[in-house]
Amino acid sequence: MEKKFYSVTKKDLFDLFSRLSATYRVIVPYVKNERLYFDDFDQSKEDRIELGGIRQSQPVKSFISHSRETVFSASERENNPKPFIIAGVKGCDLKSFALQDFVFAQGDTEDPSYVKNRDNALIIGNDCTYARQTCFCLAMDAAPYPEKDFDLSLSPVEDRFVVEVGTEKGAALAEKYRMFFKPPNDADIETRAKNREKVSEEVRRYVDARGTPDTKTVKGAVKRNYSNIPLWQDFASTCVECGACNLVCPTCHCFLLFDEKDQGNARRVRIWDSCLYKTFARVAGGANPRRHLYERLRNRFDKKFEFFPEVMNGYFACTGCGRCIEACPGDIDIREVLKGVANGTKWNKPPHE
Amino acid sequence: MNNPYGYIEADIIDIVDETPNIKTFSFKPRSEIGFRAGQFMDVSIPGVGEAPFTPSSNHNATDKLDFTIMAAGRVTKLLHGMKKGDVVGLRGPYGRGYPLDIFKSKDVFIVGGGVGLAPLRALLYALFNDVKDYRNIIVKYGARTSKDIVYKREIESWASKAGNVDVRITVDVGDDSWKGNVGLVTTILKDDRLDVNNAVSIVCGPPIMMKFVTFKLLDLGYKDSQIYLSMEKNMSCGVGKCGHCRIGPYYACKDGPVFTYDKIKDLPNIWE
Repeated sequence: MEKKFYSVTKKDLFDLFSRLSATYRVIVPYVKNERLYFDDFDQSKEDRIELGGIRQSQPVKSFISHSRETVFSASERENNPKPFIIAGVKGCDLKSFALQDFVFAQGDTEDPSYVKNRDNALIIGNDCTYARQTCFCLAMDAAPYPEKDFDLSLSPVEDRFVVEVGTEKGAALAEKYRMFFKPPNDADIETRAKNREKVSEEVRRYVDARGTPDTKTVKGAVKRNYSNIPLWQDFASTCVECGACNLVCPTCHCFLLFDEKDQGNARRVRIWDSCLYKTFARVAGGANPRRHLYERLRNRFDKKFEFFPEVMNGYFACTGCGRCIEACPGDIDIREVLKGVANGTKWNKPPHE
Repeated sequence: MNNPYGYIEADIIDIVDETPNIKTFSFKPRSEIGFRAGQFMDVSIPGVGEAPFTPSSNHNATDKLDFTIMAAGRVTKLLHGMKKGDVVGLRGPYGRGYPLDIFKSKDVFIVGGGVGLAPLRALLYALFNDVKDYRNIIVKYGARTSKDIVYKREIESWASKAGNVDVRITVDVGDDSWKGNVGLVTTILKDDRLDVNNAVSIVCGPPIMMKFVTFKLLDLGYKDSQIYLSMEKNMSCGVGKCGHCRIGPYYACKDGPVFTYDKIKDLPNIWE
């Protein structure tokens, strides 16, 4: 399909968001203390809206597979939330949709809450305009700009954006609000390509400086090192089992179902869970296939770098967003673990030097 | 859209005390729900919690489902406190049933331990539905003591079901009231009536029992692919999404819970 472009000025875009706020919940990224956060669009705070920069602190899954959601109630009525628009989704998070969709919306069984939220969402992708030291998307088959899985995308050029149409749904929105969308400017599209090259070089420098292996190198490396216990013990030695890596990870999808009763209303709730928790795989009889912490840390890598590539046709369940590196209180760096497994089976470092 | 997390209501119509910590509950579902032997369901106490169990009754009878449940965790202990007339939730069935087509015209060697006889009872009833289609159907069952034997009231009657059916029981620890065999179930597995080249062995019990039964069966000449094992994993959602019951490339809830040994033998910590 031939790519379709528009041009929109920043002012028009915010006017559009303002207008869309009547029918949609519009979520945009704001800058705060050098970090980006998603929050509801508020025109009075438009000077802090950043449609560029790098990925936000929350993974985009927060808006689709909510951290806590009632998934079944015997007596309560379903609510029908407003459709919503998430603007500013970066390439790393866009990569995560394929996995979350695979788990929740494909195969024999669909998760109705997820599917409803996903159908309700219009995703506006967005180019990164710089990289952080923890960025390694390019090593993980993602890019610092939207490649796919967006409805529309915004690439900043001076005081305006190049808009690319990604889906019919995006095309319909642009068509409906065509007064805001100007014909594309060829020079801007060229500038977009140059900007993308520049930010990619920046990511590439961070990847190369650390020797972070790419997916081709990582392929099969966790399996090869499965019995390399000292390696896993070493990386697990500072893990405090907090589960932060899971919560900030855009591809982590595991959840816990629990039942609660509120004034006689029984409901079933789905919350995000963490495979690092000791009881994650334990059964009531007491058996626990991952009794040791190193086994649970290894399991996280096995799931991301062996299980998903096998069941999802070569898809590595890491997007290189680097959130887990920043979140980990034990300074466990996923890039170092990948280097460890990629560099072969020899691991002579004593646990936690 | 069907809600995979939703349950239907079922009334408890009967409760049999099997052992000091195992009861068999009969549930009468208020809406239609069925299963194939070996598939499991989630039984819930509405608003409190749920846990996965394989029904232990004949899959041809769907108006009444039996579940044989040991008090082991939070939900099962609460279930044991429930009475006739109380209401539970049921959802499922999940997983794959026993491949009865593959068992046809073969010797079916059933090895159970403790409460692990529950899914095997469903299997037996399914085999009894077409009992002539199988060669020998032989059950070897081990319990800790004679007090821990489940289905006492009917277990002997299974052997007289047909000429090709036999049941042997052993207890780990004997006592004055027990006149039968004493010893682990692994000590009674050798059986000349069974043709290992044309047999399947279906094993369900505590992990440590399944491990040693598997090794013994391999010693006796069974091939990896002839041994069917029930993998007890933390199956929560039942539909391969929550991640808890993963074993290597599989989810026990979706791809199991019964696996042939060849599928899982190289995976880590399968016996835990």
